[in-house]
Amino acid sequence: MELIWLGLLVALPAGYFALEGFDLGVGMLLPVLGRTRRDRDLMIAAIAPFVLANEVWLVAAAGVLIGAFPLLEGKVLFGLYPLVVVMLLAWVLRDAGLWFRRRLDGDAWRTLWDAVIAAASLTLSLCWGMALYAITTGFTAPLWHPLGLLLGVTLTLAFALHGRAFLGRRVPRFAPGGNPALSAVLVPAPVLAVLAAAAPQLRGGAASPATLQTLSLLVLPFVPLLVAAQVWVWRTFRRGAGPVPSFF
Amino acid sequence: MDVLDLARLQFGVTAGLHFLFVVLTLGLAPVVAVMNTRWVRTGDPLQERMTRFWGQIYIVNYALGIVTGLVMEFQFGLSWSGLTHYAGDVFGAPLAVETMVAFFLESTFLGLWIFGWHRLPRRAHLACIWIVTLTAYASAFWIMVANSFLQNPAGAAVTGDRLALTDAGALLTNKALVFSFPHVIGAGLTTGAFVVIGASAYRLWRHPGEDRELFTRSLRTGVVLAVHGVPIAVAFGFAQFATVPEGKFDGAAASTGLGVMILIGEALLMATLLFLLPLIKVLPHWRWTHPLLMALTPLPFAAAILGWISREMGRYPWMIRDRLTVADALSPGLTPGMITASLAGFTTVLTLLAVIDYALIAKIVRRGAAAPALGAPPEPDEPPAGRPALTLGR
Repeated sequence: MELIWLGLLVALPAGYFALEGFDLGVGMLLPVLGRTRRDRDLMIAAIAPFVLANEVWLVAAAGVLIGAFPLLEGKVLFGLYPLVVVMLLAWVLRDAGLWFRRRLDGDAWRTLWDAVIAAASLTLSLCWGMALYAITTGFTAPLWHPLGLLLGVTLTLAFALHGRAFLGRRVPRFAPGGNPALSAVLVPAPVLAVLAAAAPQLRGGAASPATLQTLSLLVLPFVPLLVAAQVWVWRTFRRGAGPVPSFF
Repeated sequence: MDVLDLARLQFGVTAGLHFLFVVLTLGLAPVVAVMNTRWVRTGDPLQERMTRFWGQIYIVNYALGIVTGLVMEFQFGLSWSGLTHYAGDVFGAPLAVETMVAFFLESTFLGLWIFGWHRLPRRAHLACIWIVTLTAYASAFWIMVANSFLQNPAGAAVTGDRLALTDAGALLTNKALVFSFPHVIGAGLTTGAFVVIGASAYRLWRHPGEDRELFTRSLRTGVVLAVHGVPIAVAFGFAQFATVPEGKFDGAAASTGLGVMILIGEALLMATLLFLLPLIKVLPHWRWTHPLLMALTPLPFAAAILGWISREMGRYPWMIRDRLTVADALSPGLTPGMITASLAGFTTVLTLLAVIDYALIAKIVRRGAAAPALGAPPEPDEPPAGRPALTLGR
């Protein structure tokens, strides 16, 4: 039973990196690849149908933490306190940028929110690297440790390349070539490595067998439905974003 | 203010902001789902535009529900790890189910509904909004299970220095839950109703020539929703007095909040049953009523916040009644610097975004229902950009 939940604790963040990774990558690349307003509209339109389905993987990962590993939840989040606050604000602002950018027609409005999306995506990616490094040190090193920053920069580049590959598949004129399936497999590597190394401590923070059993009964029967819903998103939008104008 | 007060203030502000948007989501989701159903059944273009107009308000509101919710989810580990350490084996479970099942499905299917317009077959598209509605209510249920556990820790026993789950069934039949959950549903329906009524009244009053039929029907839909929602909210509100512990509302904040909320509830009940319902046929035509209807719109929001203040302040100093005090639930090691920074950051950003969100909703209402952005038909003269992988209209 514990192994299933450990599996989810590993799979969900990995999936988040593989999926939201390209959302963050495209967001970061808005000022780089999107020279005109129209270009940026196309870039956002390419990721728009997937953002809601992608970001929820991290929400679910937090749910696994609070439900199945409650002793870890406080340790991890409190240990990363300033980073978590910054990351939450970046996530919130990135989302707001996506929801708000087309709600008014002006150029200034849309450019403002595109800048917010780009800055927030970049911030979030850098912070992920710093957070993963901090976890490996058991929260002993300062959060802005050079190795953490280095990992942050590496992840940022990885997300950017992943986003570029995804964009290349959907709107080839932006970035021809690129294999998003390949980058999707590679991008989760850092988080998988960190979680694998931390596996013994993870098990130590698990909830009681009674709790895990109850959780399993309440959640696991729905997993096929969760998977099917995600698959349906990809099947629906496999031919592209859908007719414009996109809502985001 | 010390660390404890700041942490409580942070939770109160973020939770309050979150619930402002949740309560409208709960009310509007079924409205939009019903309108979508009518459109699919009849093919009536008016029903389509109603779905798109109210649907757009629903999703712009929902955006802030999501972002405030993200902050809520991580806040337990940030400032209240004392709670998750002591009671995580019990309290964490309903929260986990909410995020992993209810919200996971809600978010995924909402994306399908918003972006799958003109892409999915109509009935599949319709199914998406019904799933979103169902899972929104499921989310509310699991959050109420978690909160009700704090009010009355049923189904758990102290083992060592922590709480252990002994009876999951007791969690789900908690006396602090059984009436409060339907009460929240009633509050949601009421809020949705008065937003629909108020916005429709505004359109009929300010632009009497535009889309009369659409807003007349919407206004009446709002009244019908109020006729259901307000009595449910009031009835299950009073029902809770049977299960509330002695002395719960002794404090000034709790009792005042409760009193004003009840006044608002009673006023809305009388307005709905004695004014709105009898006049449902003529309300759209009697322009003098429209400013009054608009003025009612904020009341359910105020009542919802006051209700939560009284429910939550009413259990102070307990985080978990008779088990864990609020002071002991705080994260050990939380410094004034940390909590001040997070309080400032969350409050500033979320409040700013909330104000912008409401301004955007107001703009959507003022623009009218002629061509809502949600579900806009594909632009006919768009040149395709490269491969058909990205279809730009065609």
